Amino acid sequence: MSEEIMNTPLDPEEVNTEFNEAEETVAEEAAEAAETVEENAAEASAVIEDITPEEPEETVEEAVEAVAAPAVKEKKHRLSYERRKGLYGYGFIILWALGTCYFFIAPFIESLIYSFNKTEVNQGGMKMEFIGLKNYRNAFRKDQDYSKALVEMLQSTVLRTPLILIFAIFIAVILNQKFKGRTFARAVFFLPVIIATGPVIDIINGNMDQGGFSGGAEQFSTMFEANLVDQLLNFLGVYNISDTLTETLNTLITDIFDLVWNSGIQILLILSALQGIPISAKEAAQIEGATAWEFFWKVTIPYISPMILASVVYTIVDSFVDPQNSVMKIVLNKASNWEHGYSAAMAWAYFAIVAVFLAIVVAFINKFVYYEVE
Amino acid sequence: MATKKEEKQFEKERKAAQKARYKKMKEEGLDKFLTPEQISYNRRRAVIGAIWPIFRFIILFGLCFVILYPLIFMLSTAFRPNEQMNDPSVVWLPKSFTMQNIKDVWDVMDFGNTAINTVVLNLVASILQVVTCSVTGYGFARFKFKGKAFLFAIVIMQIIVPPQITTIPLYLQYAYFKPQWLAKLLTNGETSLINSGWTMYLPALFANGLRAGLFIFIFRQYFRGLPKELEDAAYLDGCSPLYTFVKIMCPNAKSSFLTVFLFSIVWYWNDYYVSSSFFTKNDTVALMLKNLNTNLAQTLFDGQQVSVRQIIVWLEAGCLLSITPILIMYVFLQRYFIEGVERSGLAN
Repeated sequence: MSEEIMNTPLDPEEVNTEFNEAEETVAEEAAEAAETVEENAAEASAVIEDITPEEPEETVEEAVEAVAAPAVKEKKHRLSYERRKGLYGYGFIILWALGTCYFFIAPFIESLIYSFNKTEVNQGGMKMEFIGLKNYRNAFRKDQDYSKALVEMLQSTVLRTPLILIFAIFIAVILNQKFKGRTFARAVFFLPVIIATGPVIDIINGNMDQGGFSGGAEQFSTMFEANLVDQLLNFLGVYNISDTLTETLNTLITDIFDLVWNSGIQILLILSALQGIPISAKEAAQIEGATAWEFFWKVTIPYISPMILASVVYTIVDSFVDPQNSVMKIVLNKASNWEHGYSAAMAWAYFAIVAVFLAIVVAFINKFVYYEVE
Repeated sequence: MATKKEEKQFEKERKAAQKARYKKMKEEGLDKFLTPEQISYNRRRAVIGAIWPIFRFIILFGLCFVILYPLIFMLSTAFRPNEQMNDPSVVWLPKSFTMQNIKDVWDVMDFGNTAINTVVLNLVASILQVVTCSVTGYGFARFKFKGKAFLFAIVIMQIIVPPQITTIPLYLQYAYFKPQWLAKLLTNGETSLINSGWTMYLPALFANGLRAGLFIFIFRQYFRGLPKELEDAAYLDGCSPLYTFVKIMCPNAKSSFLTVFLFSIVWYWNDYYVSSSFFTKNDTVALMLKNLNTNLAQTLFDGQQVSVRQIIVWLEAGCLLSITPILIMYVFLQRYFIEGVERSGLAN
């Protein structure tokens, strides 16, 4: 049998797979044995290195050997199929892992070290003097703007994220329908993606503010601001229910410019998920007599839920990371004043809060996300 | 397979036949054929079908106007002589057109060289980034290994930590790049990587470029959503995981590749924070645009203090110049992009 395998140009992986499936249990038993742990680890590193095309030749020999030899002894070396696949997983992320160590973790930890030090820039690097938690204490106790900005930031994010999300889903569903000029409409709605991240948007907004015309965001706020909401409420017979409500409503309406200009990417993500809904699902729903509303909640939402999660994460992160937001402004301001230690401390406190917030949101939404696999 | 044209024709015929049948049914009395629920369902659908397009048009038209407003303003201003900015009788359409603003800005920004420089940086970094991020995203989506949750938490960290935090230590790392021989090799004998394109390429090569965490996240979400049977079949046929990824998964994930590539190009084009920290001489379009204000004041007004209002026509012309290349590319990519998205929809 072994000769047959060696002679036929069978792909070695296939031999391996069959072999492994057949003897998986034995291999698992072997893996449980304490002595083999080290061997496994050694082989693990070997596999990682061997993802190059040379690997098949070796595995052929190994597999053949294993098939030929009496079972028990050789099996100690073999890994179960699942575990081997796992090792390939390491192979896939190794490039990223290396890069992350150098380009992310090292500078990140470095900035954490800055935050516990009084820093001074001189030629050849950073001069540091350890002062413990003093930077953090200063940020929360002495700097009044900082904690105030933090609270405002959280509030506005909590308010904005669902708005942007609902808006994006709404627009994406519309853009997914068939109508004349759809391509044009899509192109227009993604335009903010191209423009809003660059310095162009600053100039546009800046120009609009100072350029004689009120335009852009300014114009749209004045258009709606003329107490439209109050008048509407009065018309409905509601007087002075609460200032905060009218204020909130007002901000919602005046922020429409902001909303449209910030939801391009979310629309894109959700639209691409919408395209993934199979036509058969729609046909089945129609035969069952589902209304559009039912179809939306029972079919559309579950299908696009992974991308909804992605959009939520993106929206939250985008608003936290935006250099224009008040907290980031303070942090960057301190950094450009050469107070790197203080600015690093502020940034670290900020991100601890953001990370906790994001973790809660993701954990919550993940419960409702539907993956086709699993 | 019928061609697209024929399919359209079939669709038309089908609809006509349906209408005729419905008409006939109506003449004979609907309740003979349909239950009351079906009748009300059909009626409701007809009403919605008549009203909804009007609503849709109003909504889309309004929102498109909101988005296009600044662009129209830009077009209107960029070609208008400076004097007419203060003319109250000119709102949208200037009385005369001029190319002078564009010419001035072109010279100030040294647009030809800047643009070529930016395009090269952009393309190399984006391509590297898309390839490495897709591989990483696949690794996270489909393999079970120890410490995966922890490693993925690092990806999330990468998304939420803005570049502003790591820039200063990273600058020091690039400036005193180790090992030194590698730095010399990459930059023709310089000891620091600052001002060379490698400050963009190296992170991209290791899946750590601009917003790489987000791209890994997108890829992972996308690969997780693809049916697992695809790979199982490949594995049974004896493909290695890498081969399976390249030959089976990548073609199925075309639309997400295009999405990420588009994002990557746009963000590299628009980025000014990272490039301004690592480049002092190596100019990109975004950097030039950011400094346009000062540069204009220097060349056109001999370094005097000028308000934005005075130089608005040049600023808008600069904006127009810098978004035109990416806008053109977008118009073309957009077509492929939507095709890619739709094809992936049909593949399911």
